[in-house]
Amino acid sequence: MSPQTFEYRPSTPEEIESDDPVHGELMHLSMGPQHPATHGVLRILIDLDGETMHNVEPEVGYLHRGKEKTCESLGWAKFFPHTDRLDYVQPLMNNIGYALALEKLAGIVVPERGQIVRVLLMEVSRIAAHLIYLGTTAIDLGAVSMFFNCFKEREKIYSILDAYTGHRMNNTYVRIGGVFADVDEGVEGMLREFLEGFPAAVDGFETMLTGNRIWYDRNRDVGIITPDDARAWALTGPNLRGAGIAHDLRKAEPYSGYEDYDFEVAVGTVGDCYDRYLVRVEEMRQSTRIAMQALDRLRETRGGEVLTEDRRYVLPPKEKVMTSMEELIFQFKIVTDLRLPKGEAYQGIESSKGELGFFVVSDGSSMPVRCHIRAPGLYNVQAIPLLANRRLFSDMVAIIGSLDFVMGEVDR
Amino acid sequence: MVIVKRKELSLMERLFLPEIVRALSHSFRAIFQPKITRQYPEEGLPTNEVTRGQPRLTLLEDNETLACVSCGLCEVACPAYAITIDGQETDRFIEREPERFEIDMLRCILCGFCEEACPKDAIFMSDELELADFTRAALVYDIDKLKRPKAALQKRIDYFYKVNDRWRKSSSTS
Ligand code: SF4
Ligand code: SF4
Repeated sequence: MSPQTFEYRPSTPEEIESDDPVHGELMHLSMGPQHPATHGVLRILIDLDGETMHNVEPEVGYLHRGKEKTCESLGWAKFFPHTDRLDYVQPLMNNIGYALALEKLAGIVVPERGQIVRVLLMEVSRIAAHLIYLGTTAIDLGAVSMFFNCFKEREKIYSILDAYTGHRMNNTYVRIGGVFADVDEGVEGMLREFLEGFPAAVDGFETMLTGNRIWYDRNRDVGIITPDDARAWALTGPNLRGAGIAHDLRKAEPYSGYEDYDFEVAVGTVGDCYDRYLVRVEEMRQSTRIAMQALDRLRETRGGEVLTEDRRYVLPPKEKVMTSMEELIFQFKIVTDLRLPKGEAYQGIESSKGELGFFVVSDGSSMPVRCHIRAPGLYNVQAIPLLANRRLFSDMVAIIGSLDFVMGEVDR
Repeated sequence: MVIVKRKELSLMERLFLPEIVRALSHSFRAIFQPKITRQYPEEGLPTNEVTRGQPRLTLLEDNETLACVSCGLCEVACPAYAITIDGQETDRFIEREPERFEIDMLRCILCGFCEEACPKDAIFMSDELELADFTRAALVYDIDKLKRPKAALQKRIDYFYKVNDRWRKSSSTS
């Protein structure tokens, strides 16, 4: 099938003067911030010449809550609930990214089982986030039943997380040095059951979309980004891999023991919306694989610790707080004045949107000097003009959907 | 590295109508799958001891006095600044008790840090989730609204101790 052919012809001065609806004067359109297809409160200013977009300009900041500044006045441990609310479709992933940065700064080693649980949580979060991408993008392009199918699967993940953490969203279950609680056998069973059924569900999604002509026509050769451009615009994650660059932090700079897991990095060839979709679908399959391996390892390490034994940073067990003076003192010290050593650290993780990085600077006191968040979504938003300029307006929805950002982390 | 396979549409797929039938059959099959919609609020949310609902204060065995000693740790640990405590002296053995203990439920994010911080088993997350009222002031819960007999929270307390049982092989300094 021939790729979409579309030639833009600028309007002539006479046409602009005329009443011609297609080649008349430019129309200024403000898409958002309440537009349902902008996935949050993104405003995009567009000049329309007929149906063609010009001077596309995304405007971010409508969801700015000052998270980085908040960190400076809250302290190290109390910022965890705030990281949940950055990219709110994958709270545990953000928790882990922040925890890893702090651990790097303080030189804390997470016990093996803690790392396995983290990998498991990250992969499950990635699946949940990709399901949101798929569901919302599909409903924006008209496939309503896809939305329900995806959310049905996501609901299963949330029930499992509910059974594990006690919350469906905003879990706050990661601590400096590990995770708060162990994954017990009941949750393990639920996870296994879900992961075993999930590949069939992905096949179902592909039945609905991959060969669907509407989906195909609206995504194929739309929003092409070349590898060089992708690199120049600092895109990461599925958007970069869709353009054909096999860069994945889980392989390039492994953390939490990712080097021990067997999985493949999915890359595209063309770099259009269709490739990004295929990459994400493949990533869901790979995530299922990793999560399955993590479950097997959990079985092997049953009874291990999930939280490191480092009295300077980790709250002592409650039992001992009640009975021993030493632990009581540490309880007070850690809650009121948790200090991290002087220095700075950056840790990036491969979140579902790209490289999610936390850069923390400490002067040795209990308050951070700086906590910078490298949110992949912001870079994805910045690529919108590159992909959208001189294209038809109806492609905008496909482009926004395929870049996959969450405004909570873009504006933070 | 796995390169994703771009599909070329076959003639059938390009004709579109057979594909519609195929996708519709996929959708129609969903009719016969078990329903997953929960009829909230008629059908309540299932809760158990893992559920982190609103924090509640535990009473001692006599069901009258709070276990809290007004140490202020939960107030410090709260990332949402939801807790306000004023302490006072008491004749009881513990010497201090809260005169005023308020949790602003509108601020509380149910994170559970207070529960973790408390050194006296005085505050725990209950399984109470629903929260609605007509005024903001009514949602700033005081001691009367927060206190619960220990028996009501016992399951959560047991669960909390279970997951908190860490450093089992530890060589305690005490
Ligand atoms: S649950 Fe969290 S936000 Fe709510 S009162 Fe306790 S510490 Fe504060
Ligand atoms: S931490 Fe516990 S004992 Fe201390 S003030 Fe809070 S509820 Fe009371």
